[in-house]
Amino acid sequence: MTQTATDSAAPAALRRRRKRAGRLHIVVFLAPAVLIYTIFSVYPLAESLRLSLYDGLEDGSAVWIGLGNYATLLFDPDWARQFWNAFSNNLVLFFVHMVVQNPLGLLLAALLSLAPRFGGAYRTLIFVPTLLSVVIVGFIWELILSPLWGVAETLLGAVGLAGLYQPWLGLESSALVTVSLISVWQYVGIPMMLIYAALIAIPDELIDAARVDGLSGFAIFWKVKLPLILPTLGIVAILTYIGNFTASFDLIYSIQGALGAPNFSTDVMGTLLFRTFFGQQLQLGDVHMGATVASMLFFIILVGVTIYLALVQRRLQRYEM
Amino acid sequence: MNTPVRTARARTSRLRRISGTASVHAVLLGYTLIAVFPVFLVMMNSFKDRRGIFGEPLSLPHAGTFSLEGYATVLSEGSFATYFGNSLIVTVASLFLILFLGAAAAHALAEYRFRFNALLKIYMIVGIMVPIRLGTVAILKLMVDLNLVNTLLALILVYTAQGLPVAVFILTEFMRTLSRDIKDCARIDGLSEYRIFLEVVLPLIRPVLATVAVFSMIPIWNDLWFPLILASSDATKTVTLGVQQFIGQFTVNWGAVLAALSIAILPVLGLYALFSRQLIAGITSGAVKG
Amino acid sequence: MSDLTLRNVIKSYGSTKVIHGVDLQVRDGEFVVFVGPSGCGKSTLLRMIAGLESITGGEVAIGGEIVNDISPADRGIAMVFQSYALYPHKDVYGNMAFALRHAGVDKAEIDARVQRAADILGLRDLLHRRPKELSGGQRQRVAIGRAIVRDPKIFLFDEPLSNLDAALRVQMRVEILRLHQRLKTTMIYVTHDQVEAMTLADRIVVLHGGRIAQVGTPLELYHHPDSIFVAGFIGSPKMNFLEAALTGWSQEGAHVQVPSLGEIVVPVSRQGGSERETGARLGIRPEHVQLADPATAAMRGEVLVVERLGGETYLHLDVGAADPFVVKTDGAVSARSGEHVGLAFPPHALHLFSASGAAFPHRERHRTLAEPQGA
Ligand SMILES: Nc1ncnc2c1ncn2[C@@H]1O[C@H](COP(=O)(O)OP(=O)(O)OP(=O)(O)O)[C@@H](O)[C@H]1O
Ligand SMILES: [Mg+2]
Repeated sequence: MTQTATDSAAPAALRRRRKRAGRLHIVVFLAPAVLIYTIFSVYPLAESLRLSLYDGLEDGSAVWIGLGNYATLLFDPDWARQFWNAFSNNLVLFFVHMVVQNPLGLLLAALLSLAPRFGGAYRTLIFVPTLLSVVIVGFIWELILSPLWGVAETLLGAVGLAGLYQPWLGLESSALVTVSLISVWQYVGIPMMLIYAALIAIPDELIDAARVDGLSGFAIFWKVKLPLILPTLGIVAILTYIGNFTASFDLIYSIQGALGAPNFSTDVMGTLLFRTFFGQQLQLGDVHMGATVASMLFFIILVGVTIYLALVQRRLQRYEM
Repeated sequence: MNTPVRTARARTSRLRRISGTASVHAVLLGYTLIAVFPVFLVMMNSFKDRRGIFGEPLSLPHAGTFSLEGYATVLSEGSFATYFGNSLIVTVASLFLILFLGAAAAHALAEYRFRFNALLKIYMIVGIMVPIRLGTVAILKLMVDLNLVNTLLALILVYTAQGLPVAVFILTEFMRTLSRDIKDCARIDGLSEYRIFLEVVLPLIRPVLATVAVFSMIPIWNDLWFPLILASSDATKTVTLGVQQFIGQFTVNWGAVLAALSIAILPVLGLYALFSRQLIAGITSGAVKG
Repeated sequence: MSDLTLRNVIKSYGSTKVIHGVDLQVRDGEFVVFVGPSGCGKSTLLRMIAGLESITGGEVAIGGEIVNDISPADRGIAMVFQSYALYPHKDVYGNMAFALRHAGVDKAEIDARVQRAADILGLRDLLHRRPKELSGGQRQRVAIGRAIVRDPKIFLFDEPLSNLDAALRVQMRVEILRLHQRLKTTMIYVTHDQVEAMTLADRIVVLHGGRIAQVGTPLELYHHPDSIFVAGFIGSPKMNFLEAALTGWSQEGAHVQVPSLGEIVVPVSRQGGSERETGARLGIRPEHVQLADPATAAMRGEVLVVERLGGETYLHLDVGAADPFVVKTDGAVSARSGEHVGLAFPPHALHLFSASGAAFPHRERHRTLAEPQGA
């Protein structure tokens, strides 16, 4: 037999050293990801928290003022008005998503999970708006709802409701809900997909067993499927909550501008942060107040996530399937 | 002998089934129309002249109304080719980094036992819950210090940091399910740990990489916030920002606005047509595990 | 080809010790099987030999060289895994050639070796298929082929057949046996299937809780188990155990009192058993029990269940002990449940265990084990 593949010519001592060189590869695999993530995500967040505890001086230096910026944000009449307005607008946004988007997503997912014909096509098409940039979605609806173009009015007219038409985006009373519904239109695909995935993961045998036990289709949904997908509904809720506080900026900025027009009726935490940081017409941008708004947002999200993890996640027990 | 008969009971249950199916389709079809009609409307009207857009917004373009005027304006006024190039560079480079670095980190976390393994995994994954935008103030400062403002690299780094947590999460979960035997076998075959990752693990996780790719891509391509803040110069604008600003300038030229929107929508729809299967499979499998 | 020595090998995961000092000497060309219940450390031990697990204590030597710090690739071993572990993105040829290509063996040599392995295993027509286009048995053959081409000093198998169905398992078992006859390479084979262990092994290593319970040829373990654990583990159906009281010793052996059987003499020697020890257990294999006339038999029992396998029949009897007493009889036996049958045992087929589980050694070796073999 010729030299075997495994009989390497290296002497044992050398081989031993090679083996000892050992665990460097773990560092090589981890370091790039950990570094980029730390430098551009974790550090900036920590730095924002730190900056929120300082105030800028004329000469460009900063002085530590503890929670002073938070006090300003929450108690200075001018700031507090803006903050609470943005915060409550966010809550409205969240509420609309919870009562319209998620139930609608659940309904669509439940219907899709019945595996109707063309189910794949419906699923694919309903997901289309989710893929589009918020900017584009915003403009599409701005055009459609615009009194100039009149498409919305014509369409309402077709079902005999022309009289209901209003320039919803321009009215203080309806702008926020309208923006929320546009966002629902765009994002309903996400809860739909997540819930659909959870539904089809339920084993067929379980459904068959329920059917043999005499449950009707509707009862099967309520008594068997819904309890099993509760963890997914929990995830959908927390994703809605997080998205609502950060992602809402794009849509509102493109439709209504950084001021949350009309008259701040659609101002949210995202636009407030942007304005505070970069300034607006008369007011100069303020790094420290910007960091404070961002930190407030961080705490708000933290509270939500904590509640979710502590309460919801523990209760919503997962079933092995 | 008794011949079986179709009883009244059987007939009503059959009827009920048919009407049930019909209502399922009615709801799904109805919502599908609501989902796609606005997009269709914009694209359809982008091929009309001004009179057509306002006169008969709901009809297809025909000889009397057909016009490419809007597109002509967009192509002559905006530098959309540059914007596309920028979006493409940023998206592809970020995706590459997210997938490659994310896979390497996930491999280390899933494969090796070392101190702080669990802790490090949690550290990498909390980013899913904490949006990177909250660090914007400091990110801008950092980019100014690094002299990266108005460069595409700034966007690439931020998007990589943004995409890593989800990628690491999904990939570690998946890599845990890979057979240990096959890596051990490669070890016996004499491969170094690096080559095991490159030649054995990466090919095995290719399908999951594809799905992570497709859905890390959407938020990057569509983002408005960071291009606006970090790279709003003309040379570094992305499509999303470009469209947003173009439309801001041309609000009265509806043909141009509609054409700009269509130009921004088309590539996304094209990619979606190619990858929708993978995207949906990805969301579906991710959700089952998550 | 090479021998293998384990010296006081220990493995701990953190503070849990899973291998408690194993000593073993495997001769060149020997086929050794590790058996034991699930979780006893078979795989761990094998993976330490392969170099896939670090060695917490002790030494592993292959062909006289201590390999504790040598990487798996340099140990001259090849391993076949339970899950086959084929590279899904390479075809059969690519899978078999992979290690050789990586080691820089030249093309012609690789080709010759792969073709030879493919011939041995009947894989000639499948060389350009991907693993997913193969059946379970074919995949297992490729996995074995991949080991063969490396021309290892030692083959390691970790439950290679447990993913196959029963018929295929029998067939592959025979193929592995023939392979060993042909290559005459040292092989270490892990299984929890004692039939595989009995049929394949030159010597069996029974592991129990991270320790070696006994090492010996299949028949040694069958006829002269060292402990109640080995006695119960080797042989199917399992050995029957009856509570017994040691009443004394004589020239013929131990005198024991067994409820439902009376006093009998078991031909074993005392060796190590303490003077005052009285608790004991009597063991008898189902195939060594004979049916006898209930009127005169030493022991009687009521039939609970009759399992007919065709060629043979198992009777589960109630003999007044805690567990059913199993008897293996002729397929044609006419017993029915509820009936009473008589039982007889040849004295040399009896086993006696002390209360601590150690066996009292038989006075004579079984006639099939002419010359004693030491481990
Ligand atoms: N990474 C680990 N950390 C801690 N304990 C482990 C680890 N791997 C294995 N063990 C423990 O070591 C013991 C031996 O495991 P091993 O896999 O060798 O068993 P086995 O005999 O091969 O069992 P099976 O027949 O089920 O394959 C088990 O009790 C197991 O729980
Ligand atoms: Mg095992």
